[in-house]
Amino acid sequence: MKFRRKLLAVFALTVFLSVATVALIVSAMTRRSFERANAESTTALVAQFRREFNRRGEEVVRRVETVASSESATRMALKLNHGTPDYSAYLDEAKSLAENQQLDFLEFVDNQGTIISSAQSPATFGYKDNFAFTANVPKDAFLKQEGPSEDPTLALSAIRQVNVGDRPLYVIGGRRLDKDFLASLELPTGMRALLYRNVGDIPFAPQFLTDASGPVPDADRIAQLIEQVERQRQETTALVHWSSNPADDETLHAIPLNGQANQLLGILLVGSSRRPYVELRQHIRSASLLAGGAGMILAILLSGWAAARVTRPVEELARAAREVADGNWNAQVTVQSTDELGELAASFNRMTHELLEQKERLVQTERVAAWRELARRLAHELKNPLFPLQLTVENLLRARQQSPEQFEEIFQESSSTLLAEISNLKTIISRFSEFSRMPQPHLQSVNLNEVVQNVARLFQAQLHTPGHPPIECKLELAESMQPITADPELMHRVFSNLVLNAMDAMPEGGVLTLHTHQNDEHAFIEVSDTGTGLTPEECERLFTPYYTSKTHGTGLGLAIVQSVVSDHGGRVSVRSEPGHGTTFEIELPKNNRNLSS
Amino acid sequence: MRRIASQSFAVSSLLGATLAIAMFVMALFPMTTTANAATRPRYGGTLRVAMQTAPTSLDPTGPGSSEWFGSRNLSHLMFDTLITLDNNGKPQPSLATSWQSEPSHQRWQFSIRRGITFQDGTALTSDAVAASLRAVNPTWKVLSSGEAVIVERDSAAPNLPAELALPRNSVLRRESGKISGTGPFTVTQWDPGKKLVLAARDDYWAGRPFIDSIEIEMGKNFHDQMIALDLGRADVIEVAPDQLHRTNGENNRVEHSDPIELMALVFTRDRQSTDDGPIREALALSIDRESLNKVVLQSGGEPSAALLPEWISGYAFVFPAGVDLARARQNLAGLKQSAPVTLGYDSADPGARVVVERIVLNAHDAGLSLQPTSGAADLRLVRIPLVSLNAHVALTELTKSLGLPPPKFNGNSNSEDDLYAAENTLLQSQRVIPLLHLRTASALQASVKNWHEARDGNWSLPDVWLGTPGADKP
Repeated sequence: MKFRRKLLAVFALTVFLSVATVALIVSAMTRRSFERANAESTTALVAQFRREFNRRGEEVVRRVETVASSESATRMALKLNHGTPDYSAYLDEAKSLAENQQLDFLEFVDNQGTIISSAQSPATFGYKDNFAFTANVPKDAFLKQEGPSEDPTLALSAIRQVNVGDRPLYVIGGRRLDKDFLASLELPTGMRALLYRNVGDIPFAPQFLTDASGPVPDADRIAQLIEQVERQRQETTALVHWSSNPADDETLHAIPLNGQANQLLGILLVGSSRRPYVELRQHIRSASLLAGGAGMILAILLSGWAAARVTRPVEELARAAREVADGNWNAQVTVQSTDELGELAASFNRMTHELLEQKERLVQTERVAAWRELARRLAHELKNPLFPLQLTVENLLRARQQSPEQFEEIFQESSSTLLAEISNLKTIISRFSEFSRMPQPHLQSVNLNEVVQNVARLFQAQLHTPGHPPIECKLELAESMQPITADPELMHRVFSNLVLNAMDAMPEGGVLTLHTHQNDEHAFIEVSDTGTGLTPEECERLFTPYYTSKTHGTGLGLAIVQSVVSDHGGRVSVRSEPGHGTTFEIELPKNNRNLSS
Repeated sequence: MRRIASQSFAVSSLLGATLAIAMFVMALFPMTTTANAATRPRYGGTLRVAMQTAPTSLDPTGPGSSEWFGSRNLSHLMFDTLITLDNNGKPQPSLATSWQSEPSHQRWQFSIRRGITFQDGTALTSDAVAASLRAVNPTWKVLSSGEAVIVERDSAAPNLPAELALPRNSVLRRESGKISGTGPFTVTQWDPGKKLVLAARDDYWAGRPFIDSIEIEMGKNFHDQMIALDLGRADVIEVAPDQLHRTNGENNRVEHSDPIELMALVFTRDRQSTDDGPIREALALSIDRESLNKVVLQSGGEPSAALLPEWISGYAFVFPAGVDLARARQNLAGLKQSAPVTLGYDSADPGARVVVERIVLNAHDAGLSLQPTSGAADLRLVRIPLVSLNAHVALTELTKSLGLPPPKFNGNSNSEDDLYAAENTLLQSQRVIPLLHLRTASALQASVKNWHEARDGNWSLPDVWLGTPGADKP
């Protein structure tokens, strides 16, 4: 992965993780705050319920006291003390008084619990009230169930005693605890109060659950909570899922409502909707996603810009380094900053500058050395024939002066020698001339194995020259060698030079190996000998023109090899160790279509 | 043929001196003269009536028109029948002046009164009477013969005169969708279900009514009627049976009938299994009719286990109406009630709910579970007015209203034994549990004079006259 991409990924990941972390922290804090606020609201609502409960209780007590102190109640109590009352006279009495006092329930009951008049159930006259009378009349209001036992109504009731004579008359009045009562509670937004009427041992019944608007749909979902409160008789909180939508979830705080005999008559449920929290959480998530997305886009842009700023000098350095590797030693980078990258660029420029100077110096040195070597070789090559020429000419002059009779004979012999040496000079000059005029390759399809076999056949006789130790020639040619694009004459000359070079390296005889192989793109030819080998220094200078480690030769053979191979787009290398022979390896591209023929 | 029911002055042709003395005394005590004048019938004025019934049609032959006293009383104002029944249930002439039947009581002949006209001016003829009766009784063969109408029945009909006294057999004339009767009042304004204004007919065959007109406000509940009476906006109102006692106690002028309306529980189906019989009997035995009557209905009726009231049938006491919880529980012993019996009632009747609740409590004491409902039910609380003072006709009409099979009387006998046997058979079927017979009552302003509420609750408004406001005050 490129440095820029890595940098970009690191930036984006950092931004994402930061946003996610912030979102998680904010979400957790929000939840904690919401739950704290929820708990406070629930507590406040429960307190409000209890206040309202007490206030209404006091009101009920006051109204029942008013009824108990009324003339009607006194008259009824008097009648009661005179025997069994005439129920017909009181059929509507309780109803009328209840309407006057705005009581939902009102009953007049004798000390045996017999109902004399009932507002809520006028037909129950003469029947027993199911209320458990105790010796002490409760002072405060209390919860009571009214109506049929299978479908009772929860009432906030009070009882007062009318004492006229020996038989007291009890006045039991109350107001309904129902949805209207719940509706009277001032609830904060998102909260509601529910009331469940507990009916004896009957399991949870949805119809007994109501809120301020009436029956609660899907009431079965809180059955478990109700049953838990019924079992434990203590306040319980539970999260209720009303639907698959988490926003419909509601935290319900259940408070048991007990009657006078501590029996569970109802359960108040304070519900707190999770919708605000869920919506807030959704908003946080949305905002986080938005911020994260925007942050990531910004991060990408910024990191792209920053990475560009950081990597552009690096890339330029890399480009310059590649140019240097490709031979352009004059490659320079622009120094755009004064930071470490700027210093690096400046150092690179200094390095290439130094390298260029050193190269120029080296080239100059090598050029001088080459000229010297050339001069030395020329001097050496030319000195050898010149010296016999000088001796021959001096012989001729001496013979003309000292032995004119033998001058003709000596002239003839000297002329032959002069011509031979002049010819030798011409040969030397032509070789140098030939090197300077290396022809351009004429490319065509060439089977390298055939070229190698031809060369081997050409030198077969010289390898076994009588009087010389024999050299064994081994051909290790690759099967199905594919033809390559090359100049067959030049290739022949290259291999010939290498074979000659190998033969010169094995004056004591040895093994000459010609090996060919190939891969998808290149063909390889190796020429190995088992001669004395070369030192590393010799290997370095081996392809320098006019350099030779031999006592004879012009030093142009391997230079020509390198020149031809280079003209074919290939390269030649040597590996050798002193005493272990030398191997020249030529690597040629199979397809030389890019070369101009 | 002016009927004057109040006091009139009797002048002795023999005691002229007495007359002179009387005139002298009258001259001396003008106050006494004024008081006497106030008791004289007085023509004029509008009688304002409020009623709970809100009929949408004035046609007395329509279905259900006789199920409410209000409708029946309206019918008598605008329509006449051939026969009327007196307080003893005896047929009396009305549009028919006389009648006679063959011994088999299958063929009857009624002589039509002469000189009567419908409210639209058309003369009443035997043809018109026959057409009117035929329209209501398609199974009868009704013929006109001169000034008489002949009715032939498929079987003996000894109580045909009483049947002809039913409101549905009112004689009326239909033309162009309008109906016209021969009654004492004619319609001047009709707002169906809300208001009816009637004007007295000057040419009524029995004499012009004293009052000029009657304004009837309909659809008023008992509470609103009582307020209207208290505020002087109504002269006559209906009083619910359970308010009879209280209304009387509030110094109101209240007139009531004999117990004439049956309150009963009616099973919608016959017995479906062998358990139904004991259950129905247990229910009948568990109901405390006395408490229902005395407390819930404020003695507005009489407890009864019979369909017909004692004062009509004479044998109602034979059917025990007391509570027998022990026997009721014994009946239910070993029986398992699969589901509560639903007990329906008219939710528009405020008293019905209390009655039903009391019955539920009574049944519960016996171990029977009843479930009150205002919808469809196994058992319904009904109130059916008896439409005739003739016991046989009343029982027959009652079974029609209750949806029970008609009673089977023995031939053309009109005996009490047959009546008892027929009623006993009906009760043995256990389709109906009689509870009470209720009275109907009306509360009146003091200015309403000569009010006579018949034993069956019928009004006789043509005889009523309005006194001068304040004349009765000392």
